[in-house]
Amino acid sequence: MLKYLVILLDDSAVSYCHYESGKERKLISLEALKSAILFAMKENLNVHIVWPDYELPKDYKEIINGIDHINFADASFAHDADILVANPLDWDNIPEKSVVVVKTGIRDFIEKPEVFLPLLKRVARLNILFEDISVFKDEMVTGFSYALDFLTDAIIEQYKKQNKVQVNILTDRLILDQMNNCNAGDESVTLAPDGQFYVCPAFYFGGEKSVGNPNEGVHIKNSQLFRLDHAPICRNCDAYQCNRCVWLNKQQTLEVNTPGHEQCVICHLERNASKRMLDKIREIGEFLPGKEIPDIDYLDPFEKIEK
Amino acid sequence: MLEKTVRTFTFIVTKDCQLACKYCYLVGKNDKERMSFNTAKAAIDYVLSDSYISSSHGIDFSFIGGEPFLEIELIDRICDYIKSELFWRNHHWFDNYVFSFSTNGINYNSKEVQNFIKKNYTHLSIGITIDGTKLKHDINRVWKDNPNKGSYDDVVKNIPLWLSQYPDEATKVTISSADLPYITESVLHLYSLGIHTVNINVVFEDVWKDGDDNLFENELIKLADAIIEGSYYMDYECSLFSDGIGKPLDPVNDNGNWCGSGHMLSVDAAGNFYPCTRFAAYSLREKKPVIIGNVRAGIDKNKLRPFLTLDRLTQSPQKCINCEVASGCAWCQGENYDAADTNTIYQRSTAICKMHKARVRANNYYWNKLFRKLELEGKREEFELNRPKNQNPIC
Repeated sequence: MLKYLVILLDDSAVSYCHYESGKERKLISLEALKSAILFAMKENLNVHIVWPDYELPKDYKEIINGIDHINFADASFAHDADILVANPLDWDNIPEKSVVVVKTGIRDFIEKPEVFLPLLKRVARLNILFEDISVFKDEMVTGFSYALDFLTDAIIEQYKKQNKVQVNILTDRLILDQMNNCNAGDESVTLAPDGQFYVCPAFYFGGEKSVGNPNEGVHIKNSQLFRLDHAPICRNCDAYQCNRCVWLNKQQTLEVNTPGHEQCVICHLERNASKRMLDKIREIGEFLPGKEIPDIDYLDPFEKIEK
Repeated sequence: MLEKTVRTFTFIVTKDCQLACKYCYLVGKNDKERMSFNTAKAAIDYVLSDSYISSSHGIDFSFIGGEPFLEIELIDRICDYIKSELFWRNHHWFDNYVFSFSTNGINYNSKEVQNFIKKNYTHLSIGITIDGTKLKHDINRVWKDNPNKGSYDDVVKNIPLWLSQYPDEATKVTISSADLPYITESVLHLYSLGIHTVNINVVFEDVWKDGDDNLFENELIKLADAIIEGSYYMDYECSLFSDGIGKPLDPVNDNGNWCGSGHMLSVDAAGNFYPCTRFAAYSLREKKPVIIGNVRAGIDKNKLRPFLTLDRLTQSPQKCINCEVASGCAWCQGENYDAADTNTIYQRSTAICKMHKARVRANNYYWNKLFRKLELEGKREEFELNRPKNQNPIC
């Protein structure tokens, strides 16, 4: 069931996920924006506004402010957005207790996890997004795990100081009891600057067909394939923090419901690191009683599927 | 555990054929795309050296076209190379392989093909396609350079030689709308030629007209009567009748995929790998080919994952999941992909739904009538002990 509408105000709006924004500015029309807001109101959708790094005309802001919404913006442009997309150059200026998205490469994460330490001290939540998942190799398993454990220790140090910082790839799994995926195409769609709906921003920038518009509604063919119950590898998986990115799935396996090996392994390394984090925290004191993350003997659930 | 391994490896040695069968799903046949030995050699080297791909107990090296025997010299060279590599690599497939062919039979008696057969006799599986009577066969299986001329006479002359070499081999009959009135006489004709196993499937494409299901059912009841009254059931087999079909399927225990795509890798003249031949460009009407690698870079195993995790429920519409006569209803993953609303293999085509239901009704009639006859004759037990094994292949 549709719950969220993401509105990209411009082709150059900040990228907060596994895609690259357009290089050229292309602002959404005022009419399209109005139609989208009206659609969201009538369908009871939560609206996420994704901003470019320039000031929009006043009438755009008035329309946007006509509905409850969450703002995504580049940290170098708007410090007051609800979710900031940041890079290390911005970090000193990020307000305390912000929610921050940081896009990083796998190799950079393995080699320099300490880069994130300053953020852990000041943000409420850090979402680390690996923008090059396909470069992951099985020989990186150990290095990746070490980097996760390094961050784990840093997070626990913050906990000891009563700073309960959240880091998506490590702390989300501690509290989740079921899948908490992106669910684009099932629970959310994106309105692009061309006035059309797409499964998510990546589908728009990737040249995929639109799936409707505010006047005609959302019409996703084979929409069941975006649901968890139609994802054979994922529906019995317990790496609950996984984005289950349908765009990455399509890129890697040609099917939106099937994750590639790399996405699975990375998320299971995160899951297993969360388990180690849980054990370490409990050495200090009681924490999430009754919560268990079971031992597993695989990193890719594809391996355990029985035919 | 998941069966990750490849069971069949198919060389698309040519996309040319002497015939232009009217129901052929190969829409892109041509005489340009012929496999070179170097491409075949690179494919073999890759397959034999990749432990993931070559981990099955045994392997079926299949040769397909077009008409594969048009390239018998190349095939002979490929098979020699496979055998020598299996030996030199001390590969576990050594002496655990088969070379299989599905041929139109026209070149079967040629010197080159016969020499190849003598050389590889114990490792060969060769199926000749003959559709039945001359009338039925010639409706669809016509010559490419003379569409008014059927190929029956050019094929049937080779059947005795084929059966003398491979008496247990089956023939495969494909039925389209125009063939429906000829099924009974065709099956009986094939039996009369000495072919003991006749595998038949209706085409998966959406070609069926209103009333075809009734025609099919009536024709199968006629066939059932003929088989039972002629007592062919003791020594002959027709895959249309199987006592396992027409039952509801359990959502948990009967959730496997029907089709073997993903376990049936193919390589074409360009050196591209496919999950099966049906995903190559020459097989597809509407969609782009699904290329999962090539002989230089190897196979992208991520692109195999959707095929190896496909199950019945995930790809089936609710009417199939709820179907009371679901067992035995087949599908072709390539046709599913080609007919799907999006570029997915997870949307099952139901074009044969009414034909399957017609088959089920006739099948019920067949078994009720046969078992009653056997009971009355006191031969039920003898039949159960000696009945032919139903192979029922669909590809």
